[in-house]
Amino acid sequence: MTGAFVNALILKAEAPETEAGFGERIAENQRRVFQIAYSVLGNSADAEDVAQEAFLRAYQKYASLREAEKFRAWVNRIVFRLALNRRRGHLRRLTRDTAWQFTEAPAMIDGAKDAEQRVMLERLRKQIELLPEKLRSVLQLSLVEEMEAADVGAVLGIPAGTVRSRVHTARKLLLEAMK
Amino acid sequence: MKNECEKWKDQLLETALTGTASADFETHLRSCTICSKELDAARARKARLDELLPLAARGAEPPVDFRARVLAASEAVREGSRARRWRLWTLAGATAAIVVLMIGVTIYRRTAPAFPKEELAMAQKLAEWRAPSDGLLRTPGQEMLRTMPRLGKSYLNVPVKKDEEE
Repeated sequence: MTGAFVNALILKAEAPETEAGFGERIAENQRRVFQIAYSVLGNSADAEDVAQEAFLRAYQKYASLREAEKFRAWVNRIVFRLALNRRRGHLRRLTRDTAWQFTEAPAMIDGAKDAEQRVMLERLRKQIELLPEKLRSVLQLSLVEEMEAADVGAVLGIPAGTVRSRVHTARKLLLEAMK
Repeated sequence: MKNECEKWKDQLLETALTGTASADFETHLRSCTICSKELDAARARKARLDELLPLAARGAEPPVDFRARVLAASEAVREGSRARRWRLWTLAGATAAIVVLMIGVTIYRRTAPAFPKEELAMAQKLAEWRAPSDGLLRTPGQEMLRTMPRLGKSYLNVPVKKDEEE
């Protein structure tokens, strides 16, 4: 019996168990992961792509991420980084493609109840974009459900106290900017 | 906001956000209608901000079939990785076989028995050996062996001594 054959047999035997465990992890984390991506990117289509990519990467490392807490922390971090990368790519493309004109592509905003709220939300998003990177990242992650200061701190590698203080500063700046 | 109220700007925002004002600022508020109005406006903005900020992240939900889609994609990834692993094993096996073969050939060449000196000397002698009849080919009659003689002529041009004839 060759090593490859034994390997294939083990894989086959483990597959249903892996699938079931991984499916459970997706169910537990999908809402939060999706929201993290959405908070950075601001539209559902991109958020979905990025969330899916994050789960696929988690799947490839699933052997070392079987514990729920470990999985949660890892996937939070990965989705945030992926979303940031995609946003930077978008911004680069936008700068390159629209450098010759002043009109800006309208941002897609989901979840607004009416036109006025849509306009306000768009304005708020622009103001968030203008925040310094350190404050913006903390604020975006803090807005996600189930993301406590400690979770945000774990993603960004900063203490929970710093997270709370930066959120406060960010809100103060927004309050002033939204006059 | 008047110039003298500028110094309360930060306090005003803090009060709007936290809901608590310092004693100094409260004293100022009692005597300054502009700052009081400004604080009311900031509180209204704060309420609006509280309403809008969650929408910036929670405005959308993942699609209903999101989990199924991720599982399908992960299955595809698993298949791909299995095929990649198989290709890797095949490549590693082939490389190992080639290396083993090369090592074998090298070892065989180094350890193969060399020819004894006596045998080499004999082979050399054999290569340089000439038959004794080879010498005959270099006699005066050699030309006769290569060409045909003409009528009335002989290759055996032996001068006749007249004295002897007489």
